[in-house]
Amino acid sequence: MSTLEIQNLHVAIGDTEILKGVDLTLHSGEIHAMMGPNGSGKSTLSYVIAGHPHYEITQGDIRLDGESILDMEADERARTGIFLAFQYPVSIPGVSVANFLRTAVSNVRGYTNKESAAEDNGVIGSNLMPMREFRRELNTKMKEFNVDSSFARRYLNEGFSGGEKKRTEVLQMAMLEPKFAILDESDSGLDIDALQVVADGINKLATQDRGFLLITHYQRILNFVKPDYVSIFFGGRIVKTGGPEVALMLEERGYKWVEEELVAGAVPV
Amino acid sequence: MTLLIEKPREIVEATAGFSQETVRLASQAKNEPDWMLDFRLRAWQLFESMPWPRPTDEDWRRTRLTGFNLDNYAPYASPKGTAERQDLDPDLLEALDEMDSAASLIYQDGGLLYRQESDRLARQNVIFTDLQTAVQQHPELVQRYFMTEAVSPDANKFTALHAALWDTGSFIFVPRNTTITLPLQAILNQGDGVGGYHHTLLVVEEGAEVTVVDDLMGAENAFQASVVELIVKDNSQVRYINLQDFEHTAWNFLTGRAVLGKDTDLRWIQVSWGSRLTKAFLDLDLRGQGGHGELLGLYFPTRRQHIDHQTLQLHRVPNCFSDLLFNGALKHRARSVYMGIIKVLPGAQKTDAFQRNGNLILDRSARADSIPGLEIEADDVRCTHAATAAQVEDEYVFYLMARGLTRPQAERMIVQGFLQGVLDRVPVESVMHKLEKVISRKISR
Repeated sequence: MSTLEIQNLHVAIGDTEILKGVDLTLHSGEIHAMMGPNGSGKSTLSYVIAGHPHYEITQGDIRLDGESILDMEADERARTGIFLAFQYPVSIPGVSVANFLRTAVSNVRGYTNKESAAEDNGVIGSNLMPMREFRRELNTKMKEFNVDSSFARRYLNEGFSGGEKKRTEVLQMAMLEPKFAILDESDSGLDIDALQVVADGINKLATQDRGFLLITHYQRILNFVKPDYVSIFFGGRIVKTGGPEVALMLEERGYKWVEEELVAGAVPV
Repeated sequence: MTLLIEKPREIVEATAGFSQETVRLASQAKNEPDWMLDFRLRAWQLFESMPWPRPTDEDWRRTRLTGFNLDNYAPYASPKGTAERQDLDPDLLEALDEMDSAASLIYQDGGLLYRQESDRLARQNVIFTDLQTAVQQHPELVQRYFMTEAVSPDANKFTALHAALWDTGSFIFVPRNTTITLPLQAILNQGDGVGGYHHTLLVVEEGAEVTVVDDLMGAENAFQASVVELIVKDNSQVRYINLQDFEHTAWNFLTGRAVLGKDTDLRWIQVSWGSRLTKAFLDLDLRGQGGHGELLGLYFPTRRQHIDHQTLQLHRVPNCFSDLLFNGALKHRARSVYMGIIKVLPGAQKTDAFQRNGNLILDRSARADSIPGLEIEADDVRCTHAATAAQVEDEYVFYLMARGLTRPQAERMIVQGFLQGVLDRVPVESVMHKLEKVISRKISR
């Protein structure tokens, strides 16, 4: 049982404050959907949790099981069990899915411990998960998560369709077995079939020992993945949290309602 | 496998400095026939008559020889005889064993050090021997092909010097319709403080197939002026890998040309890891219709290394294909130069030629110059060229780190990915693994 706590988080780029006091507690076994319009800071929140270096945290904290993770680099956070599924996964020429994932899995599962990684500059091959074992597991999971086995040899996201990219993100999550997964608009740009596949993947991975922060613009994915909580994110902070009914309310009334009812009411000018 | 143990030749102390007399002594020490002595002396005259490269020469504008002076080196090394396998230096043994080869030659101190032969090759009438032995045993072949077809002594100042003083090197002759599956391997471990002149002369007859690997190392505080000649006759297939990993104190000058006949298939992989400075002239000379030539290069200078490749894809006849891809990564204050020309002569219609040079700049202080070029005198051709210089994308690094890779791992993976386009086309698996290891090492440093 783990807990990810975000406490009064303020984040800026330069002089612009993007997150204005976010509070959120996520437990293992929970799916917490966070809905908000474009530009509300949802993606910033996901990047900051994952440890993107370009943001300045001006106030507040992020704690995993009581320990602050703010001083950790992105790779350390990944190794403590935080996973970010990107809205726009980058394509990296010449780097095959299997090759990079084997190194990632080896690090996360402790085949390359922190000390030896630092000493040898994390030399690939110093401590990797045995190839056969890795291959077997990857093949099994590729089948389970509907990723064609040819993708193992393909270069990361190069020439992948939108759906293929998102499915590969889910596959990586399955291999890395995080404690908490932040899914940044994993539903965006997908047709209904692709959405179904991605949602099935999430449901398979939604076990009692894992928590999800499901960031989305649309209610649509929540027809397939049932959240325990739904928050509405607006103007850099959470303006309402409730059960699944919040998503339906939002679907019905739209973000304009949020602006008029919730924001105006919550922030006295 | 047989071992030839030779007594050390009589050691002739090189006279101070480079002179005609030096050339004469070098030839004498090898008991060479008169025709080779004459060849060397003519080349020496040529060398003396040619000016040193000047910064105003187009070829040398971006690669200066400041600090290079022949007087700092012994003109040539004196061979110390051959060795048994168990006496080989561990580095040489490793280089020998890391590759599964049909036969191997190791050179050191200006001569042959070790020979691992194959009875099978002998039965196939394949000649794979050191060039000095070939001069004695196959004089007609050597006279016909040595610096006559591909690279002539007057190509540049360094080829003239090479012709006058050449020492180590291999003569490879693959008869008609002969296929050699495993690579032929030649290893050079050049000594310290001395001039070296390594030669590779490959003659592949009609319908034959061969892979040759030159593995070059050593040369601490030394210079090397090497020549590579690949004569690829009609319908034959050649894979050639030149793997240069000299010490970072070495000056390295390479001139190479492949001459391709009709319906040939050549892939040349040039790897330039080592040396303080490299200037390499590499030419594909397509002389027969239906020729297919690939010239692939990898470089990764670090610290203050300077690596310069100058290429020519010469299309003399119609219906040929040439593809060039040089990819390099640069660290610290390193510098690279790539200059390339696709030249299509009048009448060489239906030419298909590509030229790409990509550079990945890992440090702000590194610099890559890329000057691609086309000279086209035919009107029905398809020629493209492209040059890129990029830095490691922060978003790539963040993505990989968010998956648990350390920053060095992420950077290495991105660099290796960048070089993968060339690595994927290395035809010998053991060589590919070796290259990957060197890349890891260079990134970590």
